[in-house]
Amino acid sequence: MRVALFTTCLAEALAPRALKATVLVLEHCGVAPEVPLAQTCCGQPMLSNGLPADAATLARRMCAVVAPYDAVVTPSGSCASMVREKYAGLFDAGSADRAAAEALAVKTYELIEFLEMRLGVDPSSLKGRPSAPLTCHDACHLRGLHRHGCTAPFLSRAGCGEVRELPDMAQCCGFGGMFSTQFPEVSTALGDEKLAHVASTGAGTLVASDTGCAAHLAGLAHRKGVALRVISPAEALAESLGLLENAAPNGGKP
Amino acid sequence: MNPLIAPQLPFDMKPRAREAVRDLKLQQFVGNATHLKDTQRGGIFDRDFGAEYDELRTVARDTKQYALDHLDELLERFIANAEASGAHIHAAATGREACAIALDIARAHNATSCVKSKSMITEEIGLLPAFEAAGIKTLETDLGEFILQIDGDAPSHIVTPMIHKDRVATAKSFVRELGARYTEDPEELTKIAREHMRGLYRSADIGVSGANFLLADEGSAVICTNEGNFDLSVGGPPVHIVFVGIEKLIRGARDLAPFLKLLARSGTAQPLTIYTSVVRGPRRAGEHGGPKELHFVLVDAGRSGVLASEKRDLLRCIRCGACLNACPVYRKVGGHSYGSVYAGPIGAVLTPELERAQGNADAGLSNYPDLPRASSLCGACYEACPVKIDIPKFLLHDRARLRERGLSPASEESVLRIWRWLAERPALFRLAIGAARLHARMLGQREVTQDGDRAWLTRAPGPGAGWTATRDLGFATGESFREWFATRDNARGVR
Repeated sequence: MRVALFTTCLAEALAPRALKATVLVLEHCGVAPEVPLAQTCCGQPMLSNGLPADAATLARRMCAVVAPYDAVVTPSGSCASMVREKYAGLFDAGSADRAAAEALAVKTYELIEFLEMRLGVDPSSLKGRPSAPLTCHDACHLRGLHRHGCTAPFLSRAGCGEVRELPDMAQCCGFGGMFSTQFPEVSTALGDEKLAHVASTGAGTLVASDTGCAAHLAGLAHRKGVALRVISPAEALAESLGLLENAAPNGGKP
Repeated sequence: MNPLIAPQLPFDMKPRAREAVRDLKLQQFVGNATHLKDTQRGGIFDRDFGAEYDELRTVARDTKQYALDHLDELLERFIANAEASGAHIHAAATGREACAIALDIARAHNATSCVKSKSMITEEIGLLPAFEAAGIKTLETDLGEFILQIDGDAPSHIVTPMIHKDRVATAKSFVRELGARYTEDPEELTKIAREHMRGLYRSADIGVSGANFLLADEGSAVICTNEGNFDLSVGGPPVHIVFVGIEKLIRGARDLAPFLKLLARSGTAQPLTIYTSVVRGPRRAGEHGGPKELHFVLVDAGRSGVLASEKRDLLRCIRCGACLNACPVYRKVGGHSYGSVYAGPIGAVLTPELERAQGNADAGLSNYPDLPRASSLCGACYEACPVKIDIPKFLLHDRARLRERGLSPASEESVLRIWRWLAERPALFRLAIGAARLHARMLGQREVTQDGDRAWLTRAPGPGAGWTATRDLGFATGESFREWFATRDNARGVR
């Protein structure tokens, strides 16, 4: 199986460690991902902000770039949902672009989903080393993939340690792409509420399954001087499996 | 009408949203109530339907869609059956027409007083101000609406109109307006309102209500309330007028079950509302209750226009309020921030669409340019909707219309267009990402962690300023992912 790593622009800019972790975890599970060099942005920012034609231009590119692969995997839930749920709608029914978009949709996965649903990895077989307590916030866009709320149980069963339940996990963190700059007060108020819930768990590490949500929450915490480590599910897994050094205080020992 | 729900247009949402976020009481009342209702909604559907919940929603969606697809036929059938039962039927193309019809009926009976049951359509068409202007004293009989009425306040939620208020405010207004003694006890407060209302039910010249469903087969209307105030408003006065949007039609009682199962559970997590009333025809010979004259005012007010548009799905809405309770933005900004009778996610798409369908061209979006943007597109509304209206899809649709008409900030558009242009050129795109990281490294606060080197931007240029107003932006500044991947022995695919 030829697997392409869908890096996403946000992760390349802000979260290279999440991408490294994704590669290492996939390799650990027996898949060596390739990184198509020509990939750039999936077009989600354009679609979300009223420029569907621009989004379609980038969607067409993306479809071509990853066409040769059997599966496309990304650590970012939101970008996965863009390809899966939105790409086909950008093109006319019956067109070649539409067919390409539909073909891509069925082979694109968020990382944890790929491990669980495509590779059939039983998380308990991973036998990770427990780290310091975590809590987990799933990206809202995983709803459309029917994967909302699936990350925490996977990490927990994979042996990542105590995954504490995040109260009101279902509520959006307030990121929402450019919504965060268009309605900064509302976005921030939602982020503050999320951080308060995170603090209530006592966990020092937050696993966020989307790079945007992670940047928003980490940025809020940093501005407030709140010590909070925000990582991706891939990093949590990679650390637990000893593929990446755990950078949490005490090496993340529980 | 109250400027809270009928503001000066074009409506600027941002100041209200900003104020709402700072309003600690609103945060507490609206936040708590919406979270509670949303959680209870999930709980009761799990308990009562489990995995079949989704199927129930599909049935409801398809049943309502069928009715919309056959609206002309159902309207004819409803009218024939309702007239056969002795009811009077009126068709109103606009809200203004609907009010005029009601005023004519009122005048014919020299009516000077009215008892009104809760109804969104009467809010939408501005019936109460029209009645008051004509000297018809109108009493809101839904407890929440009554409290808002005596306070000169406006509803902020489809189902829970006074979600933004609490008992203390209610107690104070009861003392001020009704001369009641001060009490915060909900039962006592309800008793005070009841005593105030009972006499008025008996003496009112006219009763007014909305309807949740119109049954074409039966020529009747179904009204769901928790307070029984509909039954009193239809039982007391000699004349009753039911105002109803034409989208409320379904085939008949045979199609009612899925909606009754969904409506109260979605809205208030009850298996059914306390009262589910059916009204068919006026009082018949030998009957002791009911109005001598029953009128139905079938209101279009833009609905045929919506039906003919790509947004026809919106007419499936049964006004349960579940999307408001589930929406993170509604929870933070409250109903009045939407500047419309319909708040929350459904309001954000319905308000401009009804405006458009009643006005010319794109009056809707130019009057409400913020509404489509006031969403993080989290999808909680779609998930909560009992008739599966894909609200995020319509928000995206409207965002595109906003761009086409130059109603979104041009600065954003430039950034997005440059971004797209770069994204078509992979080498330049990588350079741009590199430049952004370099920019952060030069100007940001640097931090060395075991997760790698980071630089935090605390003041970003352009549209980024909205970000750094409250947040830092953290960049990983060490080795890039592609550099790392290229140095690995087994690196594949880098070409």
